[in-house]
Amino acid sequence: MSHSHSSRVQKHIGDPISEKPAVDQEFLEEIFNDIQSDFRFDHELNGCLNCGICTATCPAAHYYDFSPREMVQLLWTENLEGIYDAMQEKIWACAQCYTCAARCPFKNSPGGLIMLMRETAIKHGMESAKSVLRPFSRVMLKLISTGNQLAPDMITPDHFPDWGPNISKVDAPLKLLRKAIPMATLNTTATAWEVNLKTSIELYTIWEETGVLDQLETIDENLFDVIVDIMDEKREDLEDWEDEQEDENDE
Amino acid sequence: MADKHDGDERFTGHGAEWRDSNLSQEDAQVATAWVEQKIDRRSMLTNKDRVEDVRDIMWQLEKDGEIVVHRIKDEHNPVVVKTLFGWDKKIPTNQLWHHKSCGQCGNIPGYPTSLLWLMNEMGIEYLDETDQTSCTAWNYHGSGIGNMVSLAAVFLRNFHQAYMSAKAMGLPEGHFYPLVHCGTSFGNYKEVRGYLLHSAELREQVKNILGKLGRLVDGKLLIPEEIVHYSEWVHVMRGEIAKRQVVDTSKIRATIHPACHVYKMVPEDVVYDNDVLGGNRVAVSTGIMEALGTNVIDYSTWYDCCGFGFRHIISEREFTRSYAIDRKIKVAVEEANSDIMIGHDTGCITTLDKNQWIGKAVGKDYELPVMADCQFAALVCGADPFKIVQLHWHASPVEKLLAKLGIDWDEKKAGFEAYLKEVEAGNQENLYDPRKRITSGPGYKRIEQK
Repeated sequence: MSHSHSSRVQKHIGDPISEKPAVDQEFLEEIFNDIQSDFRFDHELNGCLNCGICTATCPAAHYYDFSPREMVQLLWTENLEGIYDAMQEKIWACAQCYTCAARCPFKNSPGGLIMLMRETAIKHGMESAKSVLRPFSRVMLKLISTGNQLAPDMITPDHFPDWGPNISKVDAPLKLLRKAIPMATLNTTATAWEVNLKTSIELYTIWEETGVLDQLETIDENLFDVIVDIMDEKREDLEDWEDEQEDENDE
Repeated sequence: MADKHDGDERFTGHGAEWRDSNLSQEDAQVATAWVEQKIDRRSMLTNKDRVEDVRDIMWQLEKDGEIVVHRIKDEHNPVVVKTLFGWDKKIPTNQLWHHKSCGQCGNIPGYPTSLLWLMNEMGIEYLDETDQTSCTAWNYHGSGIGNMVSLAAVFLRNFHQAYMSAKAMGLPEGHFYPLVHCGTSFGNYKEVRGYLLHSAELREQVKNILGKLGRLVDGKLLIPEEIVHYSEWVHVMRGEIAKRQVVDTSKIRATIHPACHVYKMVPEDVVYDNDVLGGNRVAVSTGIMEALGTNVIDYSTWYDCCGFGFRHIISEREFTRSYAIDRKIKVAVEEANSDIMIGHDTGCITTLDKNQWIGKAVGKDYELPVMADCQFAALVCGADPFKIVQLHWHASPVEKLLAKLGIDWDEKKAGFEAYLKEVEAGNQENLYDPRKRITSGPGYKRIEQK
């Protein structure tokens, strides 16, 4: 930890009134070091006078027990227990609008700091991350295996009953309505646009090389297994096509 | 609210040196009123002396031989606009590579089709192809799955493809310049570009990955001179678009929802125009709506987000719909007596359009049509509301707006239903030659550009 001599840094005192067992100090330090060692940390935290402008303008603060000012203060004062506690639920309330960052007189980015905390929660497989991300698995399956995050077949009245009966104002099969869109890339139902096979494999290589698949395996092993199977098949398809091309070129 | 306290209750996070000011409630209100200011241009200008122009680093890295810059050339017919601090930004207007948005294409297809239709009307050359992925930033901001290296690699892979794409038609590299459709992609790419330019370590990590993908130019990373949002193209083309207008809009009262990831992320790169709302608000969308003759009406929560929240729209929908209705739709209707709310981003249009119907359950039935600026522009320039503007995918009552514009919804709908029979028979119309969409890999056949 840096600045441990500074008066702004809070001492580790544990939680004197909680009946829960204290979280191991070394683990708390590891969590904080993961957040602090990201090269973005120093860009996104420059100081804090507790002015509260971030919280005054925060949409999540309207509806949740969440305050970007509190998050910044926890990190600024290196309040390790507070940081760990916030990662159990509060960090998932942020709507990622960056209104806080646009307004902060110190040019802090509370929204950006939240992302560092979310990444760290995932790295450590925290229960909060697992439960919060369970409804997100459909999106991740789509994105990681196709290169598209959202697809027309995900927008159905079954999935979004609160969007009402007017999701489509023309009564016709989805496939036909998609075929009637005058952009050839959009005549699809399982992806938002037609993604080249080679392209989706390039993206999958990026996921492999950047540790994103490891993150996914930590959070949802079953989803990880499904995606690996799908992508193995896609890679075989591309290899078959490349072999065919070589054969054609040889002839 | 977490920063209030009752009795002896205290919340952590104030720091050891914090002391209560013991102000009365009234005095506290006076002392903190300044934080309730809106995010107008003036409030953001206060940081000017501490903001750097990352493009300076970019040019230096190019000079040092470390990167290649994808330049906006005369052939792209650039128009120069001013950003927040009066800096110049080049907006290319021709030879554009459409960087599509997954949320638009999957959910609001009239968004990209309207844009391409406007380009066809003006004879703009473009490419819409299959060698493109989502930017992956919606997933990242929603789930935390991903990281700066993955976001940077996805950004540079897509932009490298934009640079190389014209070779599939026998044209030179750099012929097409990427035009980003989604506001989140736009904000994310600008943020990532800044980090790439600042961090040699990040550049090295990403370079290794792009090298494996064969996505380097002369062994170097390719960085775009500018990252350009479609709304900036619409803004600089607004005069040309207005020349093609065939529907009178002078009775329309429009409210604008500026997108957070368009103007709050990397705010120094955002277009401000002294002729649009006195140069005190982001110029895009308002500029085109004024050029088309609508009455753009102000409302007190214009700076608020829409409530999309990335993960909230999927798994915390109570938040999304409450925020969308109470902070945006209700205010636009009750304060501004708005006929339409116009946006310029994927998540905002989805949120504001889809989350109105549920309000009926609690007597909040405001019925405000919602669409993107380019959809409205295409509509009043004569585009078919179904075939081109694809308004049947909108849940908000767009029929009301069409009636006010004098466009017969039922007649157009009947025409579209007849057209669907043609589509079933394999006779669908396209905005461009569909063969161009494949530029490599399975299905690719070279088409020479005339």
